[in-house]
Amino acid sequence: MIEDIEQLISSAVTEVFSTMLNLKVRLDASCNAMVNGEGHVAGSVGFIGRVSGVVFLYSTNSFARNMTSSLLGLTDLEIEGDEMVNDAMGELSNMVVGHLKSRLSDRGMPCVLTIPSIVRGNHFTIEPVSSTERRIFFFNCDGRQLVVEVLLKGT
Amino acid sequence: MKPKILTVDDSKTIRLIVSKAFKSFDCEVYEASNGVEGLAVASREQPDIIILDLTMPIMDGAEMLSKLKSNPDLKAIPVIMLTAEAGRENVLRIAKMGVRDYLIKPFKEELVVERVGRIIDLKPKSETTIRTRRFDDAINVLVVDDKPAIQDQIRAGLSDTPWTTHGRSQTGEAVDYCSQQLPDIILVSLSLPDGGGFSLFQMLRASNKTKAVPVFGLSVKTALEEQARAQQAGFSSIITKPIDFEDLKIKIARALHLDMSYKYFEQKDGVLVLRLPANFTPNVSNEVGNNLRSKVSEAVDSGLGKMVLDLSQVRTADISVIKLGLSALQLCQELSLKHCVIGSDAVSMECKNYEESKDWDFVGTFEEALAVLRGGSAVTA
Repeated sequence: MIEDIEQLISSAVTEVFSTMLNLKVRLDASCNAMVNGEGHVAGSVGFIGRVSGVVFLYSTNSFARNMTSSLLGLTDLEIEGDEMVNDAMGELSNMVVGHLKSRLSDRGMPCVLTIPSIVRGNHFTIEPVSSTERRIFFFNCDGRQLVVEVLLKGT
Repeated sequence: MKPKILTVDDSKTIRLIVSKAFKSFDCEVYEASNGVEGLAVASREQPDIIILDLTMPIMDGAEMLSKLKSNPDLKAIPVIMLTAEAGRENVLRIAKMGVRDYLIKPFKEELVVERVGRIIDLKPKSETTIRTRRFDDAINVLVVDDKPAIQDQIRAGLSDTPWTTHGRSQTGEAVDYCSQQLPDIILVSLSLPDGGGFSLFQMLRASNKTKAVPVFGLSVKTALEEQARAQQAGFSSIITKPIDFEDLKIKIARALHLDMSYKYFEQKDGVLVLRLPANFTPNVSNEVGNNLRSKVSEAVDSGLGKMVLDLSQVRTADISVIKLGLSALQLCQELSLKHCVIGSDAVSMECKNYEESKDWDFVGTFEEALAVLRGGSAVTA
C-alpha cells in the first residue's frame, strides 16, 4: 500500500524525537516485545484520505513520564497526574503523523488528521480488521523502547 | 512596555513549550486553547504577536486568522502559524492566509524565539530579573487554612528552608494580611466553609496588588471535584494532603522562578565547577540540563576559561550521568573552555564502558584538576 512505510515512519519518529526530546532513536528489530509488567501508554492519531489509517505510539508509563518531563523542561514531581503525560504523548503522536501526512500529501495522497487520543492499560493489544494492513516497528530510544504500530487501509 | 506574545494551541504541551521558550526574555506570554479564546485574549490584551496553531477544536487557526484580519483593531497583529503538516500544498495554503511566518512541528524552542525575534523586539531579562531570588533566599508564605494542625504541619515541613510561614484561618484575615504586606506565595485550603477558598482566590485575582501572586489550592487527595474546580478557576497549582513537602518546595521554587542551580554550579579558584550530587535523579538532571548553557555562558562572560566536571560524589555513572557530562564537555569545546573531569576509580571505570565517555581522562581531586588545567592542555572530551 505504501511500500516505504518503514522508512517514512522511521524518518518521522527520528526527526520528532531528536528535535523535541533530544533523543537518538533507531529502528531495532531485536527488541520485539514490550516485556515488562509496567502499564503502557499509547498515543494515537488517525489519517483519512486516499490512504487511511491509524498510527499508535506505545511506551511504558515511566518512559512516557520521562518524555513529558524532557519535553516540558519539568521535573518528575512537577508532572501532575496523567493529564500532562496524555497531552504530551498526544502531541508527539500528532507530530509523527503530521510528518507522515506531509510526505503522503507531497506524493499526491492528501489526507486529514484526527485529533489525538490516548489508551492506557497493562495488557491490551490493538487488533486490526481483516482488510487492514498492520505494521509494527520497534525503536530503541537511548536504551528505552518505543513501539509504533501502523494500521493502513486503501480506498 | 514588555512585548506581549499570545500562543493559541489546543495542546497544553505546545503552550508550555512556547512559554518556556520565552522565559528568559523580558516579555509576557498569554495562552488560549482555541480560536474563540484566542480572539477574546487578543481583544483584551492587544498582543504584539500571535503564535497560532492551525488545527484546533471549536475554532481552528484559519478561521481565527480570518476573523483577526476582518477586525480593524486586531488586523495589524502579526501572526506566526504553527502546524504539524509540512506538505507543499499546506505550506502554500498557509502562505496565502496572510501570516507573517510559519513554523512546522517538530520545532526547537530556539527557532520560535528566532522567528518571533525577527518581528518583535525581544530583550533578554536583565541579570537582576533572571536571578531575582535563590531557593535559599527569604520567602514569605501565607497559609490560609481553618485547621491549625495543617498550618503547623506546613510550617514544620518548610522549616529546613529560610522561608517564613504565616498562618491565617479565615479569608477575611488573609485579605487583611495581604493589605498590609505582600506574600510571595499563598496556599489556600479549598475546603474552607462556604467555598471560602474560591471566593478568596477571586478577591486575590481581582486586586492589582495580589493578582500576580501564585496561589496554590490545598486539597485532600480524594477530593477530585474541588481540585478540578480549582484548576478551572486558575489556581497556580494544587497541593494534595497528606502533603509531600519535597514536591511542595519544588512547586514553590518553580512558581517563583527561584534559582536552584547554585546547588550544582560554583565558581571557585577561577574555575566553573559543575558538581553532580550522589543522588542523581531525573529532577537533578533536568535542573542541571536546563541551566547548563546559561551557567557556562555566564562563566565565560565573566572571564572564566576553565571548567571542572566533578563526578566525585556520583555513586554510579549511568547513561543519564554520561549524557549530561557529555553535554557539558561538548559545550566546553564549543566555547573553547579548558576542562577536566574528577571522579573515583570506580566511576572512571564505569565511564570507560560507554562509547561517549570511554576517552574521558579522570583526576582524583579538585587540586589535581587545577594543576591539569593550569598546565595548559585541555582534557579530551
